[in-house]
Amino acid sequence: MADILQEIATNLYDGEDEKVAQLVQKALDEGMSPQEVLNDGLIAGMDVVGRDFKAGDLFVPEVLIAARAMQAGMDVLRPLLAQGNVPTVGKYVIGTVQGDLHDIGKNLVKMMLEGAGFEVIDLGVDVEPGVFIEAVREHQPKVVGMSALLTTTMVNMKATIEALEDAGVRDSVKIMVGGAPVTAAFAEEIGADAYAPDAPTAVEIARQLAE
Amino acid sequence: MTEQIPIETMHPSVRMLSDEQVEAIHRTSLDILSRTGIVVKHEGARRLLLEAGAWESDGRIKIPERLVTEALASAPSRIPMYNRLGELTMPLELGKVFFGTGSDCIFTIDVETGERRRTTTEDVERIARLSDGLDQIDFVMSMGHPSEVPPEDAYLYGFVGMLRGSTKPIVYTASDRRDMEDIYEIACAVAGGEEALRERPFLLHYAEPISPLLLPPESVDKLLFCAEKEIPVTYPPSPNTGGGGPITMAGALALGNAESLVGLVLTQLVRPGTPFLYGMNIAALDMKSAIVSYGAPEWATTMPAWTDLARFYGLPVWGAAGATDSKVVDAQAGIEATVSIMMAFLSRCTLVHDVGYIEYGTTSSMEMVVIADEIIRDVRHIVGGVEVSERTLAREPIHRARPGGGFLADDHTLKNWRWAQWRPLLLDRMRYGEWVEKGGKDMTTRANERARQILAEHEVEPLPEDVEKVVRRVLERRKRNK
Repeated sequence: MADILQEIATNLYDGEDEKVAQLVQKALDEGMSPQEVLNDGLIAGMDVVGRDFKAGDLFVPEVLIAARAMQAGMDVLRPLLAQGNVPTVGKYVIGTVQGDLHDIGKNLVKMMLEGAGFEVIDLGVDVEPGVFIEAVREHQPKVVGMSALLTTTMVNMKATIEALEDAGVRDSVKIMVGGAPVTAAFAEEIGADAYAPDAPTAVEIARQLAE
Repeated sequence: MTEQIPIETMHPSVRMLSDEQVEAIHRTSLDILSRTGIVVKHEGARRLLLEAGAWESDGRIKIPERLVTEALASAPSRIPMYNRLGELTMPLELGKVFFGTGSDCIFTIDVETGERRRTTTEDVERIARLSDGLDQIDFVMSMGHPSEVPPEDAYLYGFVGMLRGSTKPIVYTASDRRDMEDIYEIACAVAGGEEALRERPFLLHYAEPISPLLLPPESVDKLLFCAEKEIPVTYPPSPNTGGGGPITMAGALALGNAESLVGLVLTQLVRPGTPFLYGMNIAALDMKSAIVSYGAPEWATTMPAWTDLARFYGLPVWGAAGATDSKVVDAQAGIEATVSIMMAFLSRCTLVHDVGYIEYGTTSSMEMVVIADEIIRDVRHIVGGVEVSERTLAREPIHRARPGGGFLADDHTLKNWRWAQWRPLLLDRMRYGEWVEKGGKDMTTRANERARQILAEHEVEPLPEDVEKVVRRVLERRKRNK
């Protein structure tokens, strides 16, 4: 039984998306639970990807290709997980703050979070504080992540946190910030819960916060 | 779209001399040979030249243009070099560029202790093994002059060290004919006989005249030995500006060219068709310290110039790069190595030695070899040029891109990133925090670690036992015949 989970993890690591989808279906047909396949197959595979990326053995495209294979597996699982009301790792609302149109770094974090099993709600770029508030109310995520690439727009991270406080939803979520000019000190200063210098670290921290 | 004719990729190159400049230097060299003349302190070579049509006056041998023209006509345009396993790995021909280490450093920087100390046979073998494990290094030289053996045996032991340490082609030096004979005996054992060695040479000899205008006896003797046995040979003079050569680069080139052509003429007189690697070494004699500067821009300027001369003659060419005057592996070392390696590539110098020299060639450094390996890898990417084709123009990926969204996760990126983007081995691109976490190591520290790792892990196919027997016999004979 465990062999097929190992096989899923290995194929996911190699980015074999079609193979992963087939194996996930096969595992379900053999009677495994969706949660088991998710945790011990797909997420276990992504854990190895994350570890090897952090160690410098994998490159970004290889992680993205693995994340894509993860998605192929998730496509098979998702309807079942929803039916059975089995939780995923957690929901994550992400966006680049108001006034900032930079997308690439935020997208990388998003893809890696999805790869780690998060359900990510992407608000896009130039996201006004009100849109973050609405998203928190609607999706009730565990974590909110904000991105900014400019020193002139990172101040809007502070404004967004204040708006979440004023709306009374600040304490229902954990808040993470990141982006080239952002530092751990700045994150603390504006009252964020965490700062991540890069995408893999963001995933690691998000998983801790979501527990 | 039907299959269209591909657009040729341009690979950047440099010419230092115009046709007119090449011809002016060539004619000046012919003038030096026929009017000024050279001193040949070797009776056999003197007779060879005189019988072929040279003459002697004022104690100098004067060589007419005809001898040069005939030698150029009989010298091969290419020297196919093999490794000691008999595989063609280094076809020396114009347009190709091969890199390797240098010979006979007095000192080495101990890779374990960082101490600058005298080199030993073991160092030669270890640096050869390191070079064997570096994929940008094509051939090995000794990088050390063994100090633990009698001086007259140092070259022989150095050769054995290289042979044991690496399977890559060897460029070797020697002190005299006895060295040449002993090394030849070992080389024949490696290749499987004289004919096999002639067909698949894995070694090339480096002898040199003394600039200006002097051919010493042992040097000529070694050159003639190579011609007799058809061992590939190079005979680069060193008319360093202000030292062995005039202070001006053109004068140094004209003189060096004349001296190199004498080497060519001699080999072709002994045996027409002897594989001869044309070239010279032109450093600057520093006017403050009087050292011969290996990092001087004059070297990086004259090397492409004599490579232009080599193209004019249709001969493969010798050069040098990846060396520094710095006493440590620092920013200066990086600058000097990069400038020279870049020019070696851009000019298409065929065989480029001295990679890994520090302290103006007095000392060898494994860290420097490892760093130069990375520089060569980097510059190789630059001279690769820009492929312009349907797959690289990325028409469709650009068309489907979301404005501001980027290409990071686009299929085109995921499919092509491996070949489309260069990735460093040693250069650091870590994020600051990660760099600190991993020890905050500078380039030289990382190079040291890589060198030690290669020494610990890289395995070299050992010499077959019958060859080792010959090696031991030759070394024993040396001990007996003190």
